[in-house]
Amino acid sequence: MKKKIKPGLKYLLLVAVCVVFLFPLVWAFVCSVKPEAEILSYPPRWVPKTFTLSNYTTVLQKYPYLSWGVNSLITSIAGTLLILFLASLAAYALGRFHFRGRNLIYGTIVTMLLIPIQAYMIPLYLMCAKVGMLNTYGSIIFPSAANVTSIFILTSFFKGLPRELEEAARIDGCGEFTIFAKIMLPLSKPALSTVTILTFIANWNSFLWPMIAIRSDKMLTLPVGIAQFMGSVNSNAQFQYGTALAACCMAIISTMIVFLLLQRYFVEGIATSGIKG
Amino acid sequence: MPNTQTNGGTAALGLKRPKGTKPLRGSQGKIAVLFLLPYLAVFTVFRLGPSIAGIFISFCKWDLAGSLSFIGLDNFKRMLTDSNFHISIINTLVFFVLTLPPLIIFSLLLAAFFNMKMRGRNVGRTVAIIPYVLIPAVVGIIWNWMYDNNFGILNYYLKKMGGPSVQWLTNEHMALTSVAIVIVWSFLGYNTVLFLAGLQGISKELYEAARIDGATRFQTFIKITLPLLKPTTSMVVTLTMVNTVQLFDQIFVMTNGGPGTSTLTMVQYLYTSAFQNYEMGYGSAIEVAVLIILIIMIFIQNKLLKVDEEV
Repeated sequence: MKKKIKPGLKYLLLVAVCVVFLFPLVWAFVCSVKPEAEILSYPPRWVPKTFTLSNYTTVLQKYPYLSWGVNSLITSIAGTLLILFLASLAAYALGRFHFRGRNLIYGTIVTMLLIPIQAYMIPLYLMCAKVGMLNTYGSIIFPSAANVTSIFILTSFFKGLPRELEEAARIDGCGEFTIFAKIMLPLSKPALSTVTILTFIANWNSFLWPMIAIRSDKMLTLPVGIAQFMGSVNSNAQFQYGTALAACCMAIISTMIVFLLLQRYFVEGIATSGIKG
Repeated sequence: MPNTQTNGGTAALGLKRPKGTKPLRGSQGKIAVLFLLPYLAVFTVFRLGPSIAGIFISFCKWDLAGSLSFIGLDNFKRMLTDSNFHISIINTLVFFVLTLPPLIIFSLLLAAFFNMKMRGRNVGRTVAIIPYVLIPAVVGIIWNWMYDNNFGILNYYLKKMGGPSVQWLTNEHMALTSVAIVIVWSFLGYNTVLFLAGLQGISKELYEAARIDGATRFQTFIKITLPLLKPTTSMVVTLTMVNTVQLFDQIFVMTNGGPGTSTLTMVQYLYTSAFQNYEMGYGSAIEVAVLIILIIMIFIQNKLLKVDEEV
């Protein structure tokens, strides 16, 4: 009745899928080690005639590329830690305490899921300009810490933890904060790692707001810095594919290191956040 | 994973409480404030406040010189006659129509494929998600290079197969489609993971029963998988909608709205108005328009893919 799909066909499909997703990246790496003259030659060759790392050295010497990377790391890590701290406390209150206005607060926060950065960045910019926050790490870190997805994920997680745990601890005379820190947090590792991954990647890739908030070249984050290589963003005459691709490849490598280290949690993370909206 | 969560969700409603436990209303109110305050402070200052202020500024004229004056509906009236704004709405909708079907259909198929028992499927899943985690500017640059009219690898292969040489990003009629291809490429893996989670939540016994009843693979997919996947589908559609309507980074890097106005989406236009022409008031009004369009789309989506509300 039912035909099994042949294993051979399955693997052919799998290979095809991998080729579609990896082709652009492999091609970028191949081109990034060619001299500019060879990049702009016809026909394109998969094996470079001349192998050179000059594109990479140009990027590192002519642009504050490493500073961009450090800025990205600092803001992403600080933002993520701040989110973990703020969101776990708040979500715990929203998920487990009974108090008036809880649903109103939770509803207001979650409604903000719908409102994109574009919808509030103008007032945010004007505010940051007024208090002199532009061009600082703070201007990237704090707006990213007002994260909604993490509240969403953590609240539903805390809601699901069995109530007996805290009742027992309360009978033993533990304070609410002790219950939170000593009992609930250790149990929340899966949810916390999900939040860590999702917010870290979001912070690491964040583009529009950092581009607006940061104006000095040295303070740029990696995504904004790399965009400088693109002709349409920064119509500089010295635009070269080689350097642009080398800058991309270094970013790909660093992103992949983070990604592969945390890959398992990452896929789980998307799945969890997805299920809950 | 999904099962434990649904259980958690219903238990967490807090409606049913075991007999003999006290609600502890008074004391918990105070402690709740302490827990909530740090987050709420940051949230109010950096998110809620600006969001509300944005709506207010849309009724004002505000240039960077800092003079703010209330002008009522003038910004919105200007939209009615601003042809660039009209183009940006059309482009946003066309872009949405170009990206949504492939992002739903291909990712569903891919998820079904990755859900089959086979060696190496984890490799496939990992590979598929890679484009999503890459920095958007990186994606933009790499594709711009592949799209290059003269030296791009895509045109090279097209010509080799006897096809025409396509002006991917420089032809006004082609540019939006070219960008849409890139977006499908980069978001496909993300949607696939979402669908996979949904597929894995469907009980194996149902498939077993269908098999015993002699249903074909196709019948099983249509009669069992698709209906049971509806909540996931609805969620993926909403997320895709929000993501594509708000899409900025890749378009900005790849075409910056051009050539001409052919890839000028609402969000691009918003950026140009507010941060290149420094018309903060008009920019805010476009923000409000984006928001209204999103709300309408989500409303329509909820009507079309009605799902029982689940807490």
